[in-house]
Order: sequence, then structure tokens, then C-alpha cells
Amino acid sequence: MQFKDYYQTLGVARDAKADDIKKAFRKLARKYHPDVSRETDAEARMKELNEANAVLSDPEKRAAYDQLGKGWQPGQDFRAPPGWDAPFEHAGRGYSPDEEAGFSDFFSELFGRMGGTGPGRRGGARTARRGEDHHARVLLDVEDAFGGVSRQIALRIPAADASGRPGYQDRTLNVKIPRGVCPGQVIRLAGQGAPGAPAGDLLLEVEFRPHPRFRVDGRDLLLTLPLAPWEAALGAVVPVALPGGEVRVRVPEGARGGSQLRVRGKGIPGEPPGDVLLDLRIVVPPADTPRAREFYESMSREFAFDPRGTERT
Amino acid sequence: MRERDILEGQLLEEAWLTLDQLAAACSVDPDWLLLHLEEGFFPQARSVAGVWRFSGAALVRARRMRRLERDFDAVPEMAALVADLLEEMDALRARLRRAGLD
Repeated sequence: MQFKDYYQTLGVARDAKADDIKKAFRKLARKYHPDVSRETDAEARMKELNEANAVLSDPEKRAAYDQLGKGWQPGQDFRAPPGWDAPFEHAGRGYSPDEEAGFSDFFSELFGRMGGTGPGRRGGARTARRGEDHHARVLLDVEDAFGGVSRQIALRIPAADASGRPGYQDRTLNVKIPRGVCPGQVIRLAGQGAPGAPAGDLLLEVEFRPHPRFRVDGRDLLLTLPLAPWEAALGAVVPVALPGGEVRVRVPEGARGGSQLRVRGKGIPGEPPGDVLLDLRIVVPPADTPRAREFYESMSREFAFDPRGTERT
Repeated sequence: MRERDILEGQLLEEAWLTLDQLAAACSVDPDWLLLHLEEGFFPQARSVAGVWRFSGAALVRARRMRRLERDFDAVPEMAALVADLLEEMDALRARLRRAGLD
């Protein structure tokens, strides 16, 4: 694994004072805060900043890092020396074991064994306490909300190794996605968090991948429905493919482009289920054959129609 | 994939979090939460007969406020204000998405 120069990450000198480190971190945290940042790699950068800050803002971790990191160059292949097993008690602060699990391999090699920061491991003695909850974000497709599909979810979580020392573990879970899930919701997997009495839960925050056809608003699905001019003018029953299966939608006579049709109850399932909102868009057939041109010409003669005229009223 | 390997999830809207569960879920002390509740920093939180219950939205909010307080040494009022603004922004972004404008 590569050696990480945390001083470089925060842009501070190796002998920087705690206050300078704090200041540098805050400045960068403001820039890369994932909720507001316009930088494309904000989330990854924020993770790096948090990792560097977790080490440099903690006097014990910083001292251990300084001692161990002497002579290493950033990016150089790094392996902790044999017997590296930080002998000191870690005074938990700031970052949760959950967040630390998201840090780099370099971090977990150095500090993954230093003892956790959460309840249950405080004071060293193992007590019968409830295990910590773990968190992860999970990206689903719109279709997943419609029928209890199972998804494989890869996670990195804090876990004790065979000798009982805290470290990290990669886990793959097969999770049955509850029908009716929508973005922003949290799926709880009881007992899948840290061990304890009882074991903690695993909480999955749901996000949806962007879909080429559907937009999601709560439980409502929004999509564009293209219509031929005659379908809009005369009314029609048109098929619309939805994740839950095809439905047939009645377009009323005289439908106008830009207006919206609501199909109740066909959105993401639930109590109550969401609706499907169809943005009507009238698509004009191309005049690319002599016969098509003829049609348009006769329409132009037969209709006393000025599309700008309707705008003026 | 064998059927018994598949974990069944539960949606948090159907199963509310208790105060202790919410505290555990965002690695904070229950007292931190109580203090913030008393100050009204969780507008969506509901208390039924003195028992607090929290939704998924409260979880997101609690984690945001905790991070703001930790990363910027923000006073709780400031963290709550920023959380309000971020929620407002989430709502506006959702409207943009709804309009297909994002």
C-alpha cells in the first residue's frame, strides 16, 4: 500500500501547530464539503481530508505517525514494521469507527489496531453492551423499488480480527430490497452491525442511480411521454412502459404539449403508492418524403391556424 | 445464492428509531441528542407520551449537525441553521430534478 503524506493533504508543514492544522482542515473542509462543493471529486477529497485530520488532530495518532513515517515519501510502497501494534490506549474522539472504516488501507494498517472510539470498547474491558450501528450508502435503481429484488452490497466495516483486535473487514451482503423503497429512506438490517448484546444494526441510506427515462420525486415517477400530433389532438390510448409493467394511458382529446398527465398509484409502491407524472411532448413527424410534404401542405391549406396567435391571447 | 443467505431489510419509516438507537446510529452521546431536542434543533422529531421517535430524515440531520459541530467547531445553533439551509437546498434540488432541470 502507498504511504500517505497527511501533512501534504492538509497543506501544512510537518511542524505545524495544532491550531494551524485545525485552520487548514476547516478551510479545505469548507471547500470540499460534499453538500455544497462544486468540485467533482468533493466526496473523495473530503474523505482524504477527514483521514488526514483524524490523524494530525489527535496528538497520539500524530506522534505515532511522525515516528513511523520518518523517511517515507508519499506514494512509496509502505508496510508497517513487524510488531507494530500501537501499545497505547486511544482516547476516542471525533471520528466514529464507521467513518474510520471508510479511510484508506494505509490508515487501517497504522491505526486500525489502535482500539476503537465507540461505546463498547471504551475502558478496554469488554462489557455486555449493545453493538454499534454501522452505516453505508447504497445505490439502487428505480426498478429495485418495485419488486423485492436482492442486491449484493459490498461494505467495509469495523470488525475485530481473530485475536480480538479491532480492524476492518470487507463484507458482501445479499440484501432483499424492501418493496417501495425510495431515495432518502433508510433500510435497517437488524443485528448486522457491530457485535454486542444485542448486536448493532446496519443502516443503509438509499440513493437512486440516475435513470435514462424516469426521474424520481419521493414516490412519484416522472417521465416524458412523446405524442404524435394526431394522438394529442384526437385523444388516444398509448402504452407506457413502467418498472412495474406496461400500462395503457388514455390521453384526452385536445391534449397540449407541456401539460402533465397524472396516472394515480402507478409510481413507487407504498401506502399510499406514488403516482406517475407524464410530461406530454408533441413530436412532429419529419417531412422527408414527397407524400409527407403533401400532407403538410394540405394541412397548411386546410387549417386556418396561427400557432403564434394562441400565444397572444 | 441460497435463500437463507438473503437478509431482509426493514424500512425506517415503518420502524421508527428510539433516542438511544439514533444516538448509536450517529455515534453521539444520547445527552447530545437530548440537548439538541430541548433546544428545538430537530423540527421533525416527534414525542409521543414523552417517548421520542425519529425518522430517517432525523438521522440524516443528526449526522449533518454532528459533522458541522466537529469539523468547524460550530455552536449547535449554527449547525442547526446550516442543516436547515441544506435541507432547504435538498428540497429545491428535488424540485429541479422534478422539472428535469438538473
